[in-house]
Amino acid sequence: MAHTATAPNSEHTAARRGAASGSGVNFLRVLKSEWIKVTTIPSTVIMLTSTVVIMVGLAALFAWQTTVLLDLQSNPQMAAQVQGAPDATSLVATIPGSGLVFGQLLIGSLAVVLIASEWGTGMIRSTMVAVPKRIPALLAKQLVFALIAFVLGAGSAFAGYFVAQPILAPSELAFGLDTDGVLLHIINTGSVLALVAVLAMSIGTLLRNTAGGVVTTIGLLFVVPILVATLLAGIADWIPDAARFLPSSAGEQMVAITIADDALTQGQGALVLAGWALVLLVVSLVVTRKRDV
Amino acid sequence: MIEAVDLSKRYGAKTAVDGISFTVKPGGVTGFLGPNGAGKSTTMRMIVGLDNPSGGDVRVNGKHYAQHSAPLREVGALLDAKAVHTKRSAYNHLRAMAATHGIPNSRVREVIEMTGLGPVAKKRVGGFSLGMGQRLGIACALLGDPHTVILDEPVNGLDPEGVQWVRHLAKGLAAEGRTVFLSSHLMSEMALTADHLIVIGRGRIIADAPISEILDGHGQSRTRVRTDNPAELVRELAADGVSSQQLEPELLEITGADSRRIAEAALAGRILVYELTPLQASLEDAYMQLTTDEVEYHSHTLPQSPAGTGAEEGS
Repeated sequence: MAHTATAPNSEHTAARRGAASGSGVNFLRVLKSEWIKVTTIPSTVIMLTSTVVIMVGLAALFAWQTTVLLDLQSNPQMAAQVQGAPDATSLVATIPGSGLVFGQLLIGSLAVVLIASEWGTGMIRSTMVAVPKRIPALLAKQLVFALIAFVLGAGSAFAGYFVAQPILAPSELAFGLDTDGVLLHIINTGSVLALVAVLAMSIGTLLRNTAGGVVTTIGLLFVVPILVATLLAGIADWIPDAARFLPSSAGEQMVAITIADDALTQGQGALVLAGWALVLLVVSLVVTRKRDV
Repeated sequence: MIEAVDLSKRYGAKTAVDGISFTVKPGGVTGFLGPNGAGKSTTMRMIVGLDNPSGGDVRVNGKHYAQHSAPLREVGALLDAKAVHTKRSAYNHLRAMAATHGIPNSRVREVIEMTGLGPVAKKRVGGFSLGMGQRLGIACALLGDPHTVILDEPVNGLDPEGVQWVRHLAKGLAAEGRTVFLSSHLMSEMALTADHLIVIGRGRIIADAPISEILDGHGQSRTRVRTDNPAELVRELAADGVSSQQLEPELLEITGADSRRIAEAALAGRILVYELTPLQASLEDAYMQLTTDEVEYHSHTLPQSPAGTGAEEGS
């Protein structure tokens, strides 16, 4: 083997160099490379599949729960038990995206893992040697995963809509896709996941560590809002006000069907969440460009 | 062609590479030799733009690595055997790398064959032995059929067959007119593979010369002598700069006197000599002499054995 190893190489060198000229790195090729990377780690594929299954499953579960609630509310003897619960008919339109919180948890964690594991395994050195300008590699990874997150979120909500209809039908709660806000709710379930993916992957890029990145992301998305609502809300009047601009609250507004008086609209929520994602993305790109790999 | 000018790298207070300048020319194998922690890997990381130099400049084929539009076609680098995601297969890793440059899958299969990865190409890299990991790293380096090949400790973990393969590969690539830059702390390996040596210690260049020059300049020539009466011969030879070591009852190794002088001394003392073999100075001797002051991590007991029988670790 030792002797034959280099022989074919030398024969074709001239020809290949000729054909190779001008065939360098471009963004489409880096996108393709990142697509190959995402789809060739079995655990990533398994995790994405489970996210879909769980999100659709949760939509079915909430649909069933809503029918139960309606039964209780329409029964005068039982209605007292569920006093204070919102009217079941007002809940139905958000059933397609009811797995969104869970989806954020999984997609956010996975986004951190995808980039931080490159540092963990040393893969990042191969990546950055192939794409030494660095930013295209990170942008391609962000774009590929944001697209996956969007398709997965919107797709799950869409599937959730169809799974929920036969469950809701006996209670006459079934609703059409043309019901006010439902289509936007379904699409924005995908948009929230895409933006959360970008936010989380940027955190992973900055911290270069899977555990630290996942904890930080979950802290920002799920722990900070609880802290604000329970501990900090009483300290100053502006705190509950500012809490509306947390990424999780903005995401909630994006998928809301009805908007409370002083709450952000779907569009405003999208701007706020996109702002978070964009700022973190830009910081992560600038820092990665400057730091040693 | 790799050109470094006054290249430095500092990590906080520690200077890993201290203003080194060198040129690696095409058409030959240039060895980059130094003890552990001497700055070899840091220098190689700066060449491919993973680390930004704290000072100075390094260019490959006239440009900074990152400025090339097709970097993998200019430079192939094996920097770290395990610069691979452990859960991905070797084939998919190479496919993802190739995709960035539009390199066809046929080339991926070609480098898999060249490096003997065929049987394990579809297996997870996490289960690879050190040697298989090295082969994958080399396959990745060759993917773009580059003009310049940089290999950091390529024979680490390879079996003897693999070591020989790397040696042939490096020489073959150089014979095709490519630039081959090979680091190692194994001097014996360098002696067999490299044409030119750059020796580095504590971030500074200690020597930069053709390998023959380094051998002539630093290794003292030794002569192996078999005689009936070693004690008498040593007495006859007693002079400045002549030292001897008795390896066996009738076997001496003499340093500082050439074979002619030993023969004359034997004749004068009427001592029977039945073997007189000049030994070529080993690169190891030259290297140890060059780097004794530059070793970052001294081991407590340096091997006392004669060259060529042990002392292969630079630390």
